[in-house]
Amino acid sequence: MTSRKVVKRGFSLDYIMWLFMRLSALVLYVVGLTGLTVALVIGARTQTDISTIIRWMFFPNPMHVANSDIVNLDAFRNEFWNILQYIAIFFGVTHGMNGLRIVVEDFMGSTIWRTLWRGFIFFLWIFIILLASSVILAS
Amino acid sequence: MKKITLKLFRYNPETDTKPHYDTFEMEAAPTDRVLDLLEKVKGYEDGTLSFRRSCAHGVCGSCAMRVNGENKLACKTLMQDLKGNKVVVEPILGLPVQKDLIVDMEPFFDNYKKVMPFFINDDPKPEKERIQSIEEQERFDDTAKCILCGACTTSCPSFWSNDEYVGPAAIVNAHRFIFDSRDQGASERLEILNDQFGVYRCRTIFNCTVACPREIEITKAIGEVKKVIATGNLE
Repeated sequence: MTSRKVVKRGFSLDYIMWLFMRLSALVLYVVGLTGLTVALVIGARTQTDISTIIRWMFFPNPMHVANSDIVNLDAFRNEFWNILQYIAIFFGVTHGMNGLRIVVEDFMGSTIWRTLWRGFIFFLWIFIILLASSVILAS
Repeated sequence: MKKITLKLFRYNPETDTKPHYDTFEMEAAPTDRVLDLLEKVKGYEDGTLSFRRSCAHGVCGSCAMRVNGENKLACKTLMQDLKGNKVVVEPILGLPVQKDLIVDMEPFFDNYKKVMPFFINDDPKPEKERIQSIEEQERFDDTAKCILCGACTTSCPSFWSNDEYVGPAAIVNAHRFIFDSRDQGASERLEILNDQFGVYRCRTIFNCTVACPREIEITKAIGEVKKVIATGNLE
């Protein structure tokens, strides 16, 4: 009996976010490792400190190394790094905020509080994305 | 025979404001089951002790309870398989305690009913039977073993934190029909499970697989349901 080979594929917010959480984790590894490599190339071992390296890993922004001994930052003021920052911010913040949403849905019963928390997390997500965008554009 | 201490969770909603534990000292053989110890207490020490039991042979799923912190069937748990001389027996978690070791199973069965755990096929009935190959039957052989004891669902932290989650047992029973080649309700069941309180509340921590007294590979079954939702392919 082979009447059913294929069923309707399911698309829901939870399905999409379930995929997103896995893929974004991989993307963040790539971005983080790229940032770490560049931090080392620009002299992180001798000319910057650990906080600068970590900031550069997750948010490669030339403003973060402005106080170090790296003389010429022009190589890091270009579209490539801006795009990398956008990717890191978008995937990182969305990954984290979805994690918060899952925590809320795990622990909040179906009350008005769940709706309020969801709304708060959504606006927090928008706020951080906009704030980070303004930092990227200013750099 | 060895001397053991049996510590039992006790709660009588008519007389107690909060639960407490009673302790009993007794002799137990290595081949005694936890259910035998409970029967001994109820028969000879305290007739008010309440617990569910029916077949006493690991088939009906009535006597699921926490033994030394792990969900087990009291009728399948031998003393020789427990470490030490102290046995702590408590009701399963995540469901309201009604009395002593008895919990209200209604929320569990409400979730079970959500996934439509019954055969759906609107085709005209064949003269004899709906034929299925051995391979097609093997596809859901594992999940068909479920006895609805609730050990898996009540070992799941996602269910403890929010009982709107349908839980592993409901997904196992949905799996049993989704992968049945004779059934035609897969799409509807997958739609129900593709929800914020469906399969995506599973964090693959494997508590359910460890707890299952029928040794069903529950987390694997949940993964297979997730895969069907993603691919639409039942093969």
